Amino acid sequence: MKLFKNLLKQPSFIFGASLFLLTLLLALLGPLVFHLDTKTRVGLAYMPPSAKAWLGTDHLGLDMFSLLIQGLRSSLYVGFVAGTIATVVGTAVGVYGGYKGGLIDDLLTVLTNLFLVIPSLIVLILISSSLEEGRSLTLIALLIGATTWTWSARAVRAQASSIRARDHVALARINGYGTAGIVALHILPYLLSYIFMVFIIQTATGILTEASMSLLGLGPYDSISLGKILNEAKTNEALTDGAWWAFMPAMVLITATVLALYVLNTSLEGVFNPRLRK
Amino acid sequence: MATPPIFEVNKLRAHYLTRFGQTIQAVDGVSFALKEGEILGIAGESGCGKTTLVSACMGLYIPPLHLTSGDVKVDGQSIIGMDVERNRKDVLGRLVSMIPQGALNSLNPTRKVKDLATDMILSHDDKADKKEITGRLRERFEKIGLDANLVLDSYPIQLPAGMKQRVVIGISTLLNPRVVIADEPTSALDVTTQKAVIRMLFDLMDAQIIGSMLFITHELPLLRHVSSRIAVMYAGEFVELGTTEQVIFDSRQPYTKALMGSMLSAEPGQKSKKPVAIEGAPPNLGHKIKGCRFAERCPEARPDCKENQQLIRIVKEREVRCQYAE
Amino acid sequence: MLKNHPVLKHILGRAAWYLVTFLVAVTINFFLPRMGKANPVDTIMAKVSAGLDTKSANAVEEQYLKEFDLVQVDAHGKVVRGRDGKALKTSLGSQFVNYLGMSLRGDLGGSILQHPKRVSEIIKGAIPWTLALQLPTIVFGWLIGNVLGALAAYKRGVFDKLFYPGALLMSAIPAFCFGILLVYWFAIKREWFPAVGGYDEGLTPALSIPFLSSAAYYYVLPFLSVFLLVVGGQAIGMRSMCIYELGTDYVKYAKLLGVKENKILYYMFRNAMLPQLTGLAVSLGTMVGGALIAEIIFSYPGLGMTILTAIQSNDYPVITGCCLLVTTTVLIANFTADLLIGLLDPRIRAVQGGK
Repeated sequence: MKLFKNLLKQPSFIFGASLFLLTLLLALLGPLVFHLDTKTRVGLAYMPPSAKAWLGTDHLGLDMFSLLIQGLRSSLYVGFVAGTIATVVGTAVGVYGGYKGGLIDDLLTVLTNLFLVIPSLIVLILISSSLEEGRSLTLIALLIGATTWTWSARAVRAQASSIRARDHVALARINGYGTAGIVALHILPYLLSYIFMVFIIQTATGILTEASMSLLGLGPYDSISLGKILNEAKTNEALTDGAWWAFMPAMVLITATVLALYVLNTSLEGVFNPRLRK
Repeated sequence: MATPPIFEVNKLRAHYLTRFGQTIQAVDGVSFALKEGEILGIAGESGCGKTTLVSACMGLYIPPLHLTSGDVKVDGQSIIGMDVERNRKDVLGRLVSMIPQGALNSLNPTRKVKDLATDMILSHDDKADKKEITGRLRERFEKIGLDANLVLDSYPIQLPAGMKQRVVIGISTLLNPRVVIADEPTSALDVTTQKAVIRMLFDLMDAQIIGSMLFITHELPLLRHVSSRIAVMYAGEFVELGTTEQVIFDSRQPYTKALMGSMLSAEPGQKSKKPVAIEGAPPNLGHKIKGCRFAERCPEARPDCKENQQLIRIVKEREVRCQYAE
Repeated sequence: MLKNHPVLKHILGRAAWYLVTFLVAVTINFFLPRMGKANPVDTIMAKVSAGLDTKSANAVEEQYLKEFDLVQVDAHGKVVRGRDGKALKTSLGSQFVNYLGMSLRGDLGGSILQHPKRVSEIIKGAIPWTLALQLPTIVFGWLIGNVLGALAAYKRGVFDKLFYPGALLMSAIPAFCFGILLVYWFAIKREWFPAVGGYDEGLTPALSIPFLSSAAYYYVLPFLSVFLLVVGGQAIGMRSMCIYELGTDYVKYAKLLGVKENKILYYMFRNAMLPQLTGLAVSLGTMVGGALIAEIIFSYPGLGMTILTAIQSNDYPVITGCCLLVTTTVLIANFTADLLIGLLDPRIRAVQGGK
């Protein structure tokens, strides 16, 4: 509780948390509150905002507002799923290597560094561009999670390594606990706050990576995502035509969500890492 | 005409100004004087103001620390109240120098020993010749018992803990300071190294490289071995100041008695005496305190102790801050 | 001999690691695209074979198969046939070896879309644009960002209070979002800068004043979209690092010794740079990726657009060629940063030298 009170004192936490909650609410409650229809044409291509279409229409004459909410849902979905996968894989690799040390640690570190240095976007391009079947949101999320875990692995490993040296871990080992037991009972609990922060960053990365891939034309086949909205705006020259409703809202949503997550993370860091407190 | 004391602190008061406008009087009227060749030990619990006293004595007032009033003189010249740049150039490291705790993070990890020493010398005398400086460093380090060839070109990470602390002492005393303030210089060091460090300090004093010393510690054996006189500090004030024998074995002020009691019991031969921890906690220095600061915890307190401000009295040739001490 | 040269040992160690990484990258680059789809020859044949009879079609197909190293060829360049008269396929293994050899020579294969153009030809035109955009933004952005961050940490006060939120914002916005913003505000609403392209359409690339000045004009918005973000990101990080350094024991001790202010700032900067350089190694790949996407927003004629066009037309050789090039460049940059760290951090040298 005390932790939460400290958090609430930070303006950055309030800002980040509320902004993110806003976007989350929009995504979750949107379809319930507003009448959304992404399939029926409500007007001509690129019509400006009106009473019928609050944010105008896209290049096919579909309601932009509906597309936006739907896109937000997709982007958040990919972000969360990719973030979860990346965090789980990264934490597993990081904790195992950090705890075991020695050869296993060295091997895992080499592996991690290898994929850290090779740009994940490149790997994603190589995989996605050669996929035959349609790219679904889940598949994209999986791919992003599978290529961006290296960051969390590195971060978690350093923490796990330092915890390994603590007395209670040595005691547990003497008492005969196996690796799984020690990790679950003696290492993970201390890492929870850290892992949570890592998850926030990985989610933001997931959202951004999906948008980047969509901009490259490697977005989801059948669904609409915020990145895909931007991609279509670019391809159909909405950008140069000044049809701001076709790209600005999507851009604002991406920026707001990612910014909220980063600021949230910074505020958490301020509380969990006293070194940085002024 | 008598020579002025090498180090004279007169009714020194220093305070912290917090963000919320609160004034914390961490040092509240400390006075003492050192003769050439003298070592004054300072003992006290953590939070008594020792660390603040160090900065205050050196004239180093970096906000939120400010000088309230009082004076500090070295060889009769005041070192307080000058601008930051003059204080840096003329006082710090030159007239008054500090030896930090043996915690050994005091050396910049990315700087060779000789480079740090050179930085220090050049900061006080920018016309000095670099080549000449290296020669001086070599000479000085050899003189104080450090292998110049090994040490000068090394990075801190390459030196063992004990050697690092001796290097720190070497650097702090490069400019032959008149007063050296050693703040727990042997904490976190093993016994053999402690002995070497103390030995080194004594040698420096004998060679007159150091003029006089303030030795801050919480370890009784050290206090006894090193100091000729001892001052006991509590809640920003000195409560007793006398010779080593007087303060340790014949203390007159209740706090001193309690403090010595809690420290003495750790001595070999004193195991029969039960350890006496001092109950309670020091007062909050955020507001003006009425009466004796130790009254809350004093086993000999009398009703009017909390009412009357306690002034220094001379009791049996020592200074004591207690109206009922004798 | 190596024992006496700790720096050399460090460099060779890192070089070996990067070589391994490069090989892994090439392997990924080779195998991933081939894991799924149609072979490039089919795509070309679909375009080319209309109106050809079976015999000619087969001959043409064989030509292409030879070109794309999908069938074995003997010393005279003739297709090797099996017992049944059909051409023998090159094994995946030998394809890989050939690919490796070709890549090291700089030959990245032939394009499918723009056949018979070679991939290297197509990429060559785009490289200078990407280089011109990314090199200055990343290098200068990194330097300036770190200096500003150090200043904010040291000065604190008003400067920091104003600077910090701005830098935080800049560090959190994705490059392409910022690019969109810039295009909208400065190119569409207020037509101060051009919205798309690398240079005026009417001009042809040449080292002439009119061309160069046009290119410079078109350079501004794309440059800012990446530069400001790099500055923001670096500043935030450096600021934290410097705040930490300023609170260390060694800074306190240096102050007590009377060491000059400027010298102490130098200590702070030098020591805070090290983790920043390490961080650079990690984030370089991301920065380059982000900059490539930003190029797309501006239709800037660099590798970003090349990859985009290649993806849109399924021109796999170009995709993989670009990917390999980008990866190699990132690896080289990382290696350089690694070397710098090795040189600047005496602890590494000392530890390597062996105590």
